[in-house]
Amino acid sequence: MTSRETNPNFMNGVPELLILRLLQQEEMYGYEIVQAIRNRTDSVIAVGEGVVYPVLHGLERDGALKSRRKTVNSRSRIYYSVTPFGAHRLADLSEAWTNLAVAIQKMLAGGQHGEAIP
Amino acid sequence: MAKPFHELRERLLRACIAPRHVRRYLTELADHLADLTAEEERAGRSRADAESAALARLGGMDDLAKAMIGHRQFQSWCVRAPWAMFGLAPLFFLAGAYFVACIYLWFLWQVFLPGMDTPFGHGNPGPIYGFQNICIQAGKFYYTGAPILVGWGIGLMAARQRVKAIWPIGSLVLIAWMGATAQIQASRTAVPDGLGNIRMGFFTPGPSVQDIYGCLIHALMIFSLAVLPYLIWRLQKAHYFSA
Repeated sequence: MTSRETNPNFMNGVPELLILRLLQQEEMYGYEIVQAIRNRTDSVIAVGEGVVYPVLHGLERDGALKSRRKTVNSRSRIYYSVTPFGAHRLADLSEAWTNLAVAIQKMLAGGQHGEAIP
Repeated sequence: MAKPFHELRERLLRACIAPRHVRRYLTELADHLADLTAEEERAGRSRADAESAALARLGGMDDLAKAMIGHRQFQSWCVRAPWAMFGLAPLFFLAGAYFVACIYLWFLWQVFLPGMDTPFGHGNPGPIYGFQNICIQAGKFYYTGAPILVGWGIGLMAARQRVKAIWPIGSLVLIAWMGATAQIQASRTAVPDGLGNIRMGFFTPGPSVQDIYGCLIHALMIFSLAVLPYLIWRLQKAHYFSA
């Protein structure tokens, strides 16, 4: 099995955020999730597509996602959707990442005395 | 299952990921691979090229394995607490099996030997194909086979989860010794109202050298029979990898 260049930082908390955000809108199965991430990030976030499953399973085990088996076009697939706990977790993660992005943007814009991240 | 997934499966199991998580992961990866292959074929690639491109998109085996191994929550209990799974659990299982045997013995005693002080030592259990004899022999068979059955369960668990051999072997030694030293005593006069009293003792052989020797031989027999499936699996696995 050959490998290709991926974004190593992808695994540092970002997948949870992206997956929860996507699944908040509609239930999806793994392949759909990866395609949606690729389309909506204009392929900026590149990842070995299979590594999405441990993240999905971990979120499900934590109670942030629930899954159900559904047959579509005579193929059985596991669809994932967000639980109320997952929605809370998404809100927390979104806030943390927004604050971080704003802080980094300020730094990149040249500010030397940035405000503390709340 | 595709060859890369065979390798991935072995790697995950050796990394002590619980078999149910491995199975689900590989099922979803196989589905994902089929979707990717179909997508690549729609883009005009040949079947072989599409499969190759799909595998590359799915991720390298290292990435796929590390993504799963990095989650401690997917590890099996056999690795998180092997002393409990291979030390305590089998002993409790065997004790439970013997408890069921005692209940069965008490039942036979009440039905077939209601006036007797003990269910043991009554020479004639009736005709060989008689109901009474079949029931009694079934009980003996269960009582004798319980440690071996528990041992097979240990071997199966160790084989499925690719546990180091030291754990199942140690566990089987414990089970064999518990089975060999199991002693059952029954008396109706030990308690009032004639209900009957059944007691079991474990781990302590009789005081004489002959008792100890007998227990050792018995334990060796139980161990040999209980370890057999696990041993066969290990030999098959070794043969598979050498081939």
